[in-house]
Amino acid sequence: MQRFQFYNPRSVEDALNFLAEKGERSKIIAGGTDLIPGLRLEEIRPDFVLNIPEINPFRGIKEMDHSFWIGPTTTFTEMVESNLLSRSFPALVQSAASVGGPQIRNRGTIGGNIANASPAADVLPALLAHGGELELQSKRNGKRIIPLAEAILSPYKTCFRSDEILTGIILKKLELGTRSAFEKLGRRKAMARARMNLTLLLRLNHREEVSELRIVPGAVMPVAKRMDRTERMLLGKKPEPLLIEAASKTLAEEMVEVTGARWSTEYKIPVLKNIFKRMMKQLLIV
Amino acid sequence: MSKEPGKTLLKMKVNGKAVEVMVNPTWTLLRVLREELRLTGTKKGCEQGDCGVCTVIMDGRTVNACLVLALQTESKEIETIEGLGTADQLHPLQKSFIKHGAVQCGFCTPGMLLSAKALLEKNADPTLEEIKRGISGNLCRCTGFVKIIKAIQNVHR
Ligand SMILES: Cc1cc2nc3c(=O)[nH]c(=O)nc-3n(C[C@H](O)[C@H](O)[C@H](O)COP(=O)(O)OP(=O)(O)OC[C@H]3O[C@@H](n4cnc5c(N)ncnc54)[C@H](O)[C@@H]3O)c2cc1C
Ligand code: FES
Ligand code: FES
Repeated sequence: MQRFQFYNPRSVEDALNFLAEKGERSKIIAGGTDLIPGLRLEEIRPDFVLNIPEINPFRGIKEMDHSFWIGPTTTFTEMVESNLLSRSFPALVQSAASVGGPQIRNRGTIGGNIANASPAADVLPALLAHGGELELQSKRNGKRIIPLAEAILSPYKTCFRSDEILTGIILKKLELGTRSAFEKLGRRKAMARARMNLTLLLRLNHREEVSELRIVPGAVMPVAKRMDRTERMLLGKKPEPLLIEAASKTLAEEMVEVTGARWSTEYKIPVLKNIFKRMMKQLLIV
Repeated sequence: MSKEPGKTLLKMKVNGKAVEVMVNPTWTLLRVLREELRLTGTKKGCEQGDCGVCTVIMDGRTVNACLVLALQTESKEIETIEGLGTADQLHPLQKSFIKHGAVQCGFCTPGMLLSAKALLEKNADPTLEEIKRGISGNLCRCTGFVKIIKAIQNVHR
């Protein structure tokens, strides 16, 4: 590893002051599960490393009137153990539970998963399906709030400025009756990274028609996004088996449009279609 | 932070004892345990979080010591395999591993034992699925896991 200086800030203000001065030459470290391998390979060569897990206001999960706030250094284990999250966002908790093995879940954080912006991330696409928003803070500009969907610019690149810290993740409460599911596909090997995943959110109205649908496949696109063409196909309609079958084809087409034709020749298309149909069926039984 | 570019004093607790050691900011917890504190029961393998042979318990939770910077462990309590049992007073898990033939080359064993310990502390009677999940961050190239799982299941029998 190239030499760097390590700074352990005592407060949010201390951390923001540090970045205001040295942000361009610094890297934030939370759980370090992405950063430390990068430092070891010297893919990243910061002069300073700013340690944020000890900053208490960055931890925990809070319920507000219309939303939830998740601290950026909340670990996957803490997300999985949170009754509050499990009750309100089961699919998000399933995505956190799918990460790595226990040692990685004990260290890896929700903020690190977003800020690293890996195309293979699991929790990032689930958050996207939930319409997550990010709270960013800097000394110069104070707080700003942006939708997660606008924060990831390209693989491993976010719109965060070098003096900014991701200080919170905001999730609006889902409307009553919203059902959700997350699944990671392919080989059932705990440590296998870059396995395709799928998050679905579904709500029906009193006529049993789809009134809300969000579909986000993960670990397949350079930058995860909602499959709005497929979503629109089902909106306002009764989710009959034939329509779901047709929607699964549209979903596959939409994926190929984003990822390029080569993707379709792989095993992934039939897998994605089947998992989509199965998850829809499961959500409709509930 | 020390102004000099050199080493920084790290204070933590290892296996119940207060430890003070001068460390370089680039060192991992694994390096400090093995090379500064000479606690070589914690093994060095892939150094990228995949194999789990470097597993230790930090403030009650398992971590890969190769993926924690030493200075991130300031004021923390670390538990290594050296703290689990002694040669004449083995931990029940260690006895069970021996009884069930769960140790072959032994390279994965320290990390495996600590993952098993952390699992049993949270869940005294885990199901087969829960055991598999609990040790899914620890690879064993010799035993094929069956004997390890038996040893964990039968630790109190
Ligand atoms: C063996 C192994 C298995 C893994 N398995 C999975 C998996 O199954 N699924 C998955 O999604 N990921 C997986 N990962 C990747 C990794 O664990 C996750 O991406 C994790 O969320 C990273 O969080 P961290 O706290 O460790 O981030 P760090 O490594 O500390 O930081 C990652 C990046 O984010 C930046 N950053 C962190 N926090 C902030 C903040 N608050 N504000 C601004 N920038 C910030 C850092 O500067 C750095 O660039 C795996 C990693 C390993 C080593
Ligand atoms: S050496 Fe740490 S996980 Fe392999
Ligand atoms: S006993 Fe040899 S790796 Fe597990």
